[in-house]
Amino acid sequence: MTGEEASQTNLLRSIDHAELRPSATYADIRRVCLEARHFGIGAVIVHPVHCERAASYLRGSDVRLVAAVGFPSGAFTIEGKLFEAREAIAQGASEIDYVTNVGALCSGNRAWVLREMEALREATRNHVLKATLEACVLTDAQKRLGCRLAVDAGIDFVVTSTGFGAAGATVEDVRLMRDALGAQVRVSAAGDIRTLRDAWELIRAGASRLRTSSGVCIAQEWGGELREEGKLEQQ
Amino acid sequence: MNSSELARLIKTGILGVDVTEEDVCADIAKAREYPFSAYAVDLSYLELAKKLLQGTRMLLTAAISYPLGGMTLATKLSQIRFALRVRAEEINATLNLGAIKSGDYEAVLAELRAMVDVAGGAIDVIVIPQFEVLTHSEKLRTCETLLDAGVRAIKTDGHGGLCQQEDILLVRRTFGRDISIEASGGIRTTQQALALLDAGADFIHTSTAYSVLADIANP
Repeated sequence: MTGEEASQTNLLRSIDHAELRPSATYADIRRVCLEARHFGIGAVIVHPVHCERAASYLRGSDVRLVAAVGFPSGAFTIEGKLFEAREAIAQGASEIDYVTNVGALCSGNRAWVLREMEALREATRNHVLKATLEACVLTDAQKRLGCRLAVDAGIDFVVTSTGFGAAGATVEDVRLMRDALGAQVRVSAAGDIRTLRDAWELIRAGASRLRTSSGVCIAQEWGGELREEGKLEQQ
Repeated sequence: MNSSELARLIKTGILGVDVTEEDVCADIAKAREYPFSAYAVDLSYLELAKKLLQGTRMLLTAAISYPLGGMTLATKLSQIRFALRVRAEEINATLNLGAIKSGDYEAVLAELRAMVDVAGGAIDVIVIPQFEVLTHSEKLRTCETLLDAGVRAIKTDGHGGLCQQEDILLVRRTFGRDISIEASGGIRTTQQALALLDAGADFIHTSTAYSVLADIANP
């Protein structure tokens, strides 16, 4: 494998291929799962209502299944998110990406945010846990506070954005979070990632994961179509 | 119609990712001065809103799987049980839109029946079919399905949709008075509200209630 191929593999493995449109059909869920398998994309992220179905399409592959919990407002009870996360894991999710209670963070209610992080950490012990902030509505101080709490709670990733807000990931936010999180917690960028160039800029800024619905475009842009054609249809 | 009469047909509330405790307190304090019909909040503010709405005519509305509808049935039911514990008076539950768009009305019916069952008559079930993303036939089929399940009220759109007068007319024309219609989605002016009520809406759902009341005479 050449250096370029190796870094392409890494880039695609770092993508969470998102199908989070509320109107996504069963066929859409099948399509994103097959796309992830075909292009070597690392993970698929869907709403919990689709987890069982997505898990069935990913069985036997190394594509991880991420459940989107508490989307998109995060304004649910802690018990509610725990219930949702546990059920998603039972239905085949290997990772949980949940929206933190951003409203509590904005209210200065750090106790709620931390208690929620700790409770979800406990409930997802053997699984990757990602806490999504909504950077576009937070001050830099609030972003830093969210990151500090994530470090304290032992979260695996902090995600910049839900993708449903007014704006998605920015290079500045990724840098700020990278800086605030230190070595243990990684940054995932999300929202407004449409091209290979967007992807690289965010990775250079310190993102280890990218949640995007443009995974196929990014893969193709980088010559993913070189893989034998027709494979998708056969799967 | 004067402003007080219009306010009685308005359901308002505060929903969203960046809503703070202070926002909820301030918004409800202001809403208390009007005879609105109901007030909706996200679940993490439900208990707070319950306290703040004491002594008003406003019903407390719990937003279930709002606004995307992508939570599992079990999660939606657990949210309804929470709303019952807090003694909210109604729920706005977003339907499983993926099932509707996939033509899986069996799943839609099962979800609706389970919600009605858990609600047990103790809380009003109002469902959000998110008309904006549905085709004409999906709208009709969804309404038939909810009537089958014993649901009698819809809120036309959740987050992001723009309420269409034709949708109100369609439901009213097809189902008569069997379905109570709450028009919602981008309603910001008095004219919009009056036109939707004229088309047959029973209530106007808006987070910008004061701008909806701006162009109508005081009693």
